[in-house]
Amino acid sequence: MYSAIVFLPLIGFLIAGAIALFAHPTAPDGAAALSGHGHDAHGHGSHGHASHGHASHGHASHGHDDHGHGHGHAADDHGHGHDDHHPSAPGSRAAELVTSSLMVVAALLSWVAFVSVGLGTGEAVRVPLFAWIQSGTLSVDWAIRVDTLTAVMLVVVNSVSALVHIYSTGYMSHDPHRPRFFAYLSLFTFAMLMLVTSDNLLQMFFGWEGVGVASYLLIGFWFQKPSANAAAIKAFVVNRVGDFGFALGIFGVYVLFNSIEFTTIFANAQAMVGHKLHFLNGNVDALTVICLLLFMGAMGKSAQFLLHTWLPDAMEGPTPVSALIHAATMVTAGVFMVARLSPLFELAPTALAVVTFIGATTAFFAATVGLVQNDIKRVIAYSTCSQLGYMFAALGVGAYSAGVFHLFTHAFFKALLFLGAGSVIHAVSGEQDIRRMGGLKEHIPLTYSMMVIGTLALTGFGVPFSQVGFAGFNSKDAIIESAFMGHGVFATYAFMLLVIAALFTSFYSWRLIFMTFWGAPRAPKEVMDHVHESPRSMTVPLMILAFGAVFAGMLFTGLFNGYGHGWEAIKGHYDAFWKGALFTGPENRMIEETHNAPLLVKASPFIAMVIGFVTAYWFYVVDPSRPGAVAAQNPGLYKFLLNKWYFDELYDFLFVRPAKWLGRFLWKEGDGRVIDGLGPDGVSARVVDLTQQVVRLQTGYLYHYAFVMMIGIAALVTYMMLGGSH
Amino acid sequence: MALPALSPALPEILLAVGAMALLMFGAFAGEKSSRTVSFGAMGLIAVAFLMLLVAPKYGTTFSGAYVLDPFARLMKLLALAGSGFAILMSLDFARREKFDRFEYPVLILLATVGMMVMISANDLISLYLGLELQSLALYVIAAIDRDNVRSTEAGLKYFVLGALSSGMLLYGASLTYGFTGHTDFAGIAAALKAHGSSLGIVFGIVFVLAGLAFKISAVPFHMWTPDVYEGAPTPVTTFFAGAPKIAAAALMVRVVIDGYGPIAKDWQQIVVFISIASMVLGAFAAIGQRNIKRLMAYSSIGHMGYALVGLAAGTQQGVESVILYVAIYLAMTLGTFACILAMRRKDGPVEDIGELAGLSRTSPVLAFLLAMLMFSLAGIPVLAGFFAKLYVFMAAVKAGLLGLAIVGALASVVGAFYYLRVIKIMYFDEPKPAFEPMPLELKVVLGLSGLFVLGYVLIANPIGTAATTAAASLF
Amino acid sequence: MNDLLSNYLPIAVFIGVAAVIGLALLIAPFAVAYKSPDPEKLSAYECGFNAFDDARMKFDVRFYLVSILFIIFDLEVAFLFPWATVFGDIGWFGFWSMMVFLGVLTIGFVYEWKKGALEWD
Repeated sequence: MYSAIVFLPLIGFLIAGAIALFAHPTAPDGAAALSGHGHDAHGHGSHGHASHGHASHGHASHGHDDHGHGHGHAADDHGHGHDDHHPSAPGSRAAELVTSSLMVVAALLSWVAFVSVGLGTGEAVRVPLFAWIQSGTLSVDWAIRVDTLTAVMLVVVNSVSALVHIYSTGYMSHDPHRPRFFAYLSLFTFAMLMLVTSDNLLQMFFGWEGVGVASYLLIGFWFQKPSANAAAIKAFVVNRVGDFGFALGIFGVYVLFNSIEFTTIFANAQAMVGHKLHFLNGNVDALTVICLLLFMGAMGKSAQFLLHTWLPDAMEGPTPVSALIHAATMVTAGVFMVARLSPLFELAPTALAVVTFIGATTAFFAATVGLVQNDIKRVIAYSTCSQLGYMFAALGVGAYSAGVFHLFTHAFFKALLFLGAGSVIHAVSGEQDIRRMGGLKEHIPLTYSMMVIGTLALTGFGVPFSQVGFAGFNSKDAIIESAFMGHGVFATYAFMLLVIAALFTSFYSWRLIFMTFWGAPRAPKEVMDHVHESPRSMTVPLMILAFGAVFAGMLFTGLFNGYGHGWEAIKGHYDAFWKGALFTGPENRMIEETHNAPLLVKASPFIAMVIGFVTAYWFYVVDPSRPGAVAAQNPGLYKFLLNKWYFDELYDFLFVRPAKWLGRFLWKEGDGRVIDGLGPDGVSARVVDLTQQVVRLQTGYLYHYAFVMMIGIAALVTYMMLGGSH
Repeated sequence: MALPALSPALPEILLAVGAMALLMFGAFAGEKSSRTVSFGAMGLIAVAFLMLLVAPKYGTTFSGAYVLDPFARLMKLLALAGSGFAILMSLDFARREKFDRFEYPVLILLATVGMMVMISANDLISLYLGLELQSLALYVIAAIDRDNVRSTEAGLKYFVLGALSSGMLLYGASLTYGFTGHTDFAGIAAALKAHGSSLGIVFGIVFVLAGLAFKISAVPFHMWTPDVYEGAPTPVTTFFAGAPKIAAAALMVRVVIDGYGPIAKDWQQIVVFISIASMVLGAFAAIGQRNIKRLMAYSSIGHMGYALVGLAAGTQQGVESVILYVAIYLAMTLGTFACILAMRRKDGPVEDIGELAGLSRTSPVLAFLLAMLMFSLAGIPVLAGFFAKLYVFMAAVKAGLLGLAIVGALASVVGAFYYLRVIKIMYFDEPKPAFEPMPLELKVVLGLSGLFVLGYVLIANPIGTAATTAAASLF
Repeated sequence: MNDLLSNYLPIAVFIGVAAVIGLALLIAPFAVAYKSPDPEKLSAYECGFNAFDDARMKFDVRFYLVSILFIIFDLEVAFLFPWATVFGDIGWFGFWSMMVFLGVLTIGFVYEWKKGALEWD
């Protein structure tokens, strides 16, 4: 069964990939695909591409607030409209059906696995597949390891993936390259499954890079758009920074443990406490260094503060991709990795403190940026970034289950929000700027209600002091309580930032709803005339996800975080579910302590949520002129947020430009002038020079010819007389 | 005094008598007879070819001054083939360009007789006799289009420089005779073996080799080549590039191996120098050329340089490699000139390389075969030209001349440039108007040449065996 | 000494006779020839050119053709002298060699004749 779960998507990928390779669209490929997105008449390409560099080019004052991103991407993300005449590849339908049905089967099997592993009593299952590497003491096998943590991830990945596959059959129905799209989706799913079922760090790294590749391919799916290519490269490169740390971490693990099998590592972790690694003339704590390096990989993949810049740009990909990869699954791989390696992290408190700090900072930072974004997908993207920060904060204070639980619920409501956003975009003919929407709730009531459910779940709406509430209510509140009760250096810092972030979350989420669905329509009339509800294939996945967004928190919170009264009871239920998949040290009593948080603390997220809601209502419904006034009062702050704390500009200045300068220098000077100049070009130029000299000898004058002959014979005679054998 | 046994020289006698008969026929029948004379000449060459095939293996005549051995036979066959194909390839050109002089085939016949005497020469006197017979005919052939300024200029230059080189050769021969007391190669070799080298002998060798190098257009005695190749009518160039080179190379081999064999150390240095200079100049100078005939002139200079690499080795394997090299070179050069002769539009022949532009689209078969020939000339593996170079380089390396082989390999890299440029022009440039359809005889020659170049790897064995036998007869 | 001189007597006689004939022919025209002088006849004669003029002038190529043809045959006929002196020693091989040589020469002569090289116009 477990093998089937992992390899069904691979089969889907192979079939769809074969279809994509061997069945070409009848129309010329490029032309069809270029115009396939219908609305790019406004020339999105260069616009979106250039947006990173605006500030430094002196357009900061109006670079982004007028028609920056919204316009830049407005045309991108949609395959709908007047392009029905574009031929699609033969076999598109078959590719859709094959991949989607395989994914549905895999998803159902995942739930079965979840029940049997999580609720059953069995130990972790290990399914060896075959040997991979045997080199000295390094021995790596392909194997599927299924414990509760993996089962949770299987459910998340396969459920969302299956729903996204189905959703995409509707959303991508006008794209001529559907087989390729579905092949990529299935490839991604397979890689993600390899990641979560890995039995050792190398296999995890394989999956890790596999999802990176799939993400790259899907972000750049519309490869005719320069902005999509730029975003794909950016995502790949930024992830490489993290992966570098991850790889070093794996090396460190191997140095320390002489193995990269999880079982061996976890068994010996305790013994390695206090072990030192000699590094740069100093001894550093081995576990701390390794955990920090591994966390670096997690930061890249999960778009944490400093390595977050790729995630908003990744919205260049089709919306289902954003929902699957950049909200629900791949970006949570970092969270999964830290949780999986909890036996290591738990023994490295310094590393955990860093995790807390980064997580909280990300949550706060992304929420502030989300306040002022105008692109519907970017708002949700920053929201994702922020929520990932929550998860890391939870892991950092030792509340692993809270983090993983938030991962679990977040997958439902964030996928819901993204797919809902896709449905909105679908309805308004590819527009993504929420300032050009408004008044849509009467036209697309189903989408509207789904989006509201997603927002309620995200903002954590529920009945205070109970477990009754939307998904986010249970999971996020648990994190905030954990942060308050946490013992780490940054726990209090995290608590404060997370509460503020919750307020901001509420504000920007409701702002999104109000600007999109309420008020008077701001879209052109012809767009409004075409607004329509999405097809069934898109709305059904929305409803399923909405179900999860409403009930996942209430149903599973006890299971994940333990329930009952008193340490023993809670710990007992907790262990019954996790069976040691999440390791907690003997002093770590977070699961119990969170229940003892002061009432004010327990209420704080709710209060923050209400304040955020009220403010948003006031700003965007009661007094729509207010936001502009506030922005005008604080122009510096507004621009700071609008430009995402100038991270893109900073990185552009710090890394991109120097790297490009270096590359250009090595290319033009190093390769072009030195190597080519002395090598091929220089040689060929000398050859031409020599040729001209030689050709000039051929004057055409007879006496020159005779002279050459005489010189030749004189030279030969002289040589034989002087230098010859005599 | 009885008549000498003439049988080893029978083909030559036949050709000479036949040439005179054809001359008389032409003189009495007038200009219209040129086609008949051409076919007659080809017939004579064919008969001579067959006679050579069935002739006894060894034979000497004219008091030992004239020798027929496997080496001579093979080289004569090659020279006869070169001459015969040259006449064949001139037929169409003669008809279209008012180039129908019956003297042309007669002169080729006479030159061929000269070549055969050269190849069989075993004495400085018969050497000079053959050389002059060939050269005098060639001088006239070069200027045969006497209303054309370039052709007459070519003929005159060739004549003056040829006279100079003949003078050098004679001077060298006199020195050799003076210092050894012999004119026959065996006698010279015996004297050298007995008394060793001396400055006078070295002078003699230098001058003799200079005279011979002129005939194979090796640097620095090559200066006539580009002007003559370009100025002479294309069929004449075709002839010049083929048979005379074979004969002169054979003569050179026989002189240095049979005559000056005992002092190989001395002449090897000269040959190495000439060889390097030819390879390098051939490679570099050709790059600057736009006229395809001029390009082929430098190409032939370079190729003679490569052939001399084998001779420089001075071993039996070296001689074998020279034989193979000139044989393959002959096949390639005939095919290439068939292509050049096919470069013809309504208003006459064209010679600029640029005119080949887009040939792959206007006549793909011609373009493909020419491309193969160019690849072969450049020495790209599995084609005949590659093996030719391989043989000579291997022989040089075996003889300890590693540096020479390296220079040769480098020169062939540079040389590959201009061959590949021709291919690039044919395959990647915008097409020019198509050429006139190719006459049958050119198709035949090109087809045979292409087959040889492409399929050499299949027939390498029997050809190699023949070359081995021929080379062995000199040692 | 007298023997030596007497051996050369025929030569002296030969020289004397030749001188007499030469002088007679030289002087006789002054006595017997018909005289009708004009400037053209009285000017110095040299191969059809003006004696005192620029040497770089055009003239008919047929002069050269004739002279070259003459030289060729003249030189080749000169081979007959050594051949004739040793004719007795070289036997039939020598005889036929010269016959072949003369045959080739004849063919050349026929060729130039047929090509019209010997006709002035």
